[in-house]
Amino acid sequence: MRRALPWVMPIALLVAWQWASSTGLLSSRFLPAPRDVLSAFVKLSISGELWSHVRISTLRALSGFAVGGGLGLALGLLTGSLRWAETLLDTTLQMIRNIPALALIPLVILWFGIDEMAKLFLVSLGVFFPIYINTFHGIRSVDRGLLEMGKTYGLSGWRLYREIILPGALPSILVGVRFSLGFMWVMLIVAETISARSGIGYMTMNAREFMQTDVMVVGILLYALLGKLADLLAKGLERYWLRWNPAYQTGQ
Amino acid sequence: MQTSLSSKALLPEETQTRRGVAVEINDISTAYGTRTVLEHFNLEIATGEFVAIVGRSGCGKSTLLRLIVGLQGPQSGSITLGRAANSTGRPDVRIMFQESRLLPWKRVLENVVLGLQPALLPHGRKVLAQVGLAERAHDWPATLSGGQRQRVALARALVHDPSLLLLDEPLGSLDALTRIEMQELIEDVWRNRGFTALLVTHDVAEAITLADRVILIENGRVALDEIVHLPRPRTRGSARFAALEERILGRVLQRRSMEKEQW
Repeated sequence: MRRALPWVMPIALLVAWQWASSTGLLSSRFLPAPRDVLSAFVKLSISGELWSHVRISTLRALSGFAVGGGLGLALGLLTGSLRWAETLLDTTLQMIRNIPALALIPLVILWFGIDEMAKLFLVSLGVFFPIYINTFHGIRSVDRGLLEMGKTYGLSGWRLYREIILPGALPSILVGVRFSLGFMWVMLIVAETISARSGIGYMTMNAREFMQTDVMVVGILLYALLGKLADLLAKGLERYWLRWNPAYQTGQ
Repeated sequence: MQTSLSSKALLPEETQTRRGVAVEINDISTAYGTRTVLEHFNLEIATGEFVAIVGRSGCGKSTLLRLIVGLQGPQSGSITLGRAANSTGRPDVRIMFQESRLLPWKRVLENVVLGLQPALLPHGRKVLAQVGLAERAHDWPATLSGGQRQRVALARALVHDPSLLLLDEPLGSLDALTRIEMQELIEDVWRNRGFTALLVTHDVAEAITLADRVILIENGRVALDEIVHLPRPRTRGSARFAALEERILGRVLQRRSMEKEQW
C-alpha cells in the first residue's frame, strides 16, 4: 500500500489526460492523447529510428560529461590541494562560472559552427563547474584531525592522498556529479535544439515542423527518462562508494 | 643492541616487547601569537615510566604531546628520545587523541593496520583481539560505540609496538563505566609491553589510577611533580588514594582561587 501511494497521483493524471483527449476537451494540436504518444513510441522504436537518436544523444551527453567532468575533477583536485594553484586559478574560474553558459551560445556557434564540437563544448561547460566546485570544497573540508593522524602514522604524499584526502572528499565530489548530470541533459537539449541532424532534440524539433505532437511528447518524455536513469546511476555510485557512511546505507 | 635483536625471537612476548624509551624535554618554549603556552619547560621521563599530566584547559598539555610527536615544532628548546630496543633503534612514537580519528571509509581491521604492509594483517587481527574486538574486524567504524572506537584507536597504536605512547585525553568523551574499562585495558597493555606512556587528562583520579608520576602544568611550567606510591592495581576507594587525589586537586584549584583574588 505504502509503495503504491506515490504512484496514485501520476496515474490519476494520466487517466484524466486520456479522458480529456478522448472527449475532445483537449485538442491533439496542443497535446496528444497518452495512447497516441504510446503508439508513436512503439512505432518509432520498432523502426529503430528512436534508438539511433537515443544512442547519439547519450553518446554526446556522456562524452561531454567525460571531458567537462574530467577537467573539473582535475582542476578541483589541483586548486583544492595546492594553495598556489588556488591563488592562480580560482578567481578566474569563479568569474567564468558566473557567466550563464547559455549566454555563450552565439560565441559557441561562431567558434565551432553547429557541429558536434559545439554540442560537446556546451555540455562540457555545463558539467564542469558543479564538479569543479564540489571537488574543491571536498578537498578543503577533509577532516584536519584525520590528516594529522595520517601524518603521525607515516602517511605522506600519494599515500596520504589515496588513503585520506580522496576518500574524504568523495562525498562532496559525488554531490557535484549528481548536480552535473542534471546540467548535462539541460545543456544537451539546448545544443540539440539549436541545430542537429540527429539525436532526441532533432527528432523533437523535426516533429514540430510537421505538427507531430505525439513524437514531440515522446522526445520530452525520453529526456525525463534518461535524466532519471542518470540520477539513479549517481545514487548507485553513492551507495557503493559511501557505504561506510550511515547516511548512505541501504538498510532502513 | 645486537644481542637483544637476536634473542628477540626466543623470548616470550611479554619480555621481548619491553622497549620503552626515556624522554628528555629540555627548555622548551612555545607560543601561539602573543600567548605563551610553554615557557622554559623541562621534563624527564624514565624508560617505561607512566606519567600523567594534569592542568587546566589551555595550559599547554596537548601542545606538549604535539611537540613530542612532531606535529609542530618548538620555538626553542629540544626534545630527545632515547634509543629504542628494536631493530632500527628509532623509537616508534604513537599518539591517541580524544576523538578516535578512525578513517570512516576503512573497515575496523584496515584502520588498525593503517600504514603497514599487507603482510602484517594477521598481526593486526591479533592486536584487535587483544583489545577485545576481534569479531568487529570487518565492520565500519560508524557502527561502533565511542568506547569501541577508542579501543580500535588503541589497537592501531599498539600494532606498531610503540616505545612511547602519548595519550591526549583519550577517555575524555567516554561514559564513566567505559572509562574505567578502558583505564584497565590501558594499564594492562602498558604493564605487558613496557612502553613509556604520557597521559594528558583533566581527571585527577584517572591520573592517579594509571600513572607512576602526576605532573601539574601551570603558567607553562611544571608546578607539581608527585610520585604515586600506591600499589597497582589501584582502587579509588582506598584512603591513601582519596588523600592524594584531594591534595592534587586542591593544588589545581588553589591556583585558580588565587587568580580570582588577583582579578
